[in-house]
Amino acid sequence: MLQFGQRRDTHTTVHNANSPTRGFIVEEQIAELTAQIAALQGKSGVTNTMFAETFYYLTIPLMIIIHAGFLAYEMGASRLKNVLSSGVKNILAFAFMIPTFYFFGWWVYWGFPTGLPGAAGPAGISGVEYANAIAWGWGESAQYMGPNIADQASGVFFGAFALFAATTASIMSGAVIERIQTVGFVILAVVLGSFAWVVAAAWGWHADGWLVTQWGVHDFGAAGLVHAVAGFFALGVLINLGPRIGKFNPDGSANHIAGHNMPLTVTGLMLIIVGFWGFLMACVIVPGEAWSWFADKPSTIYGTPITLSALAFNILMAVAGGIIGAWVLTRDPFWMMSGALAGIISTASGLDIYYPALTFIVAFSAGLILKPCADWLERRGIDDAVGAVTVHGTIGLYGVVMLGVFASGYPALQGAAGEVPTISLIGQIVGAVVFFLLGFVPGYVVSLILKMMGMLRIPEGAELAGMDMVKVPAAGYPEGIPAPGVNLAPGE
Amino acid sequence: MGFPYDEASWSVVDGAMFMGWGSAMPGLYTLIAAGICVAVLLFGQKTERAKTKQYDK
Repeated sequence: MLQFGQRRDTHTTVHNANSPTRGFIVEEQIAELTAQIAALQGKSGVTNTMFAETFYYLTIPLMIIIHAGFLAYEMGASRLKNVLSSGVKNILAFAFMIPTFYFFGWWVYWGFPTGLPGAAGPAGISGVEYANAIAWGWGESAQYMGPNIADQASGVFFGAFALFAATTASIMSGAVIERIQTVGFVILAVVLGSFAWVVAAAWGWHADGWLVTQWGVHDFGAAGLVHAVAGFFALGVLINLGPRIGKFNPDGSANHIAGHNMPLTVTGLMLIIVGFWGFLMACVIVPGEAWSWFADKPSTIYGTPITLSALAFNILMAVAGGIIGAWVLTRDPFWMMSGALAGIISTASGLDIYYPALTFIVAFSAGLILKPCADWLERRGIDDAVGAVTVHGTIGLYGVVMLGVFASGYPALQGAAGEVPTISLIGQIVGAVVFFLLGFVPGYVVSLILKMMGMLRIPEGAELAGMDMVKVPAAGYPEGIPAPGVNLAPGE
Repeated sequence: MGFPYDEASWSVVDGAMFMGWGSAMPGLYTLIAAGICVAVLLFGQKTERAKTKQYDK
């Protein structure tokens, strides 16, 4: 058999041009070439499938870096007496998110893009019937929820979405440190991570989502449906949870409660930025698979084209713009790194279509308004220990709306304007309002119920003593932290 | 700003697809972004000098 690229002896073929066997030789050549092409297509298909599976698989550990970041950030922002309990809470949120998202979160995402009662949408990949077929851990659908040699997509898609869910829950985690009960917090994390944001994703981050098909909502990087939902869920919880003891004076003025390790917090924020490359990478649909939008180019979850180069240009400019904007007013590394996060969040909705210099400008403005927005919230008696409501909630909605300002007229789905809705300011505002409500209402209601049941806040005595002493059988710094000037060599 | 192609359809997009493509806006945005960087450095230097001056002996 001929190898690919190897030529048959053409001299012989030409020499026997009039031979009656010529037709047979040509047919043999065509058959061999056809077989070679089929073999190449098979190999190419395997390579593409392995690439697609590996692409999403690698986003999972990248997104776990977000959690390493949240862990460091929250523990650093806690006082010494609460450092480990903040860590326990954060780790537990991650752990509970994975199974609960497996049990029902994944089903909610596929079941309700068109809203209630869960009818099938035009793209044919939604509705309760569809979700029942692919997303339950029992019956026939269980074949897509476990090891299956014929399915190299469901597990990695589930994994990426489960990490989106865990990220969403962790956003709320930082806001409530140093006074929330562990079990109450886990319940809130499950409601947020495996339900509230999943509904937002089904409605606004799915080709059949009603916010997309009816209002043209575009939120490529989940500024609204992850960040704003989580941020305003946290606000609903904070209203019922109340501030830490000592945060506010009788006259209403606020005291700054410093965490025990600012370098750890800032490093944690940088790790979150690292992990967000994986988060945003996981928002891309790779080409060439049966479930892909295109054979030859990657797309967004809406089926509109995108490249990883677009993400590289825009994420870097967003991080830079956010840091510079925050530096102008704060000069504080905590707010500067929060500004980096705000830069990404403010532009996340349109990272696929922003021009990099415009990304920089929008991110700069987000970094600039970040601290004044956080201060405004604090003046209203909200004790958000890490600024999560502002960074994720306010800036998330800001980003959703800003895309409506700049990207009006872009087809929101694969197709042409008229056949599909276009991005518009009104549509983005509608999306922002829905995302706000999907976060704030469940956060407020569930935390109110937990409060009435005595499951929300730890008792005052335990808060004063420190949650590590009360709840954690370990010490963060068993040998203590040296005070300034202690154990220094002469002259230091 | 709108879709940068005459026909608002993804099927006609075969190249640049960012906001403002084909107009003067990308250049203007670049100019504004560069201006922000310079202005921030000037403002930063001014305010930092004022703060450090307080510690001059």
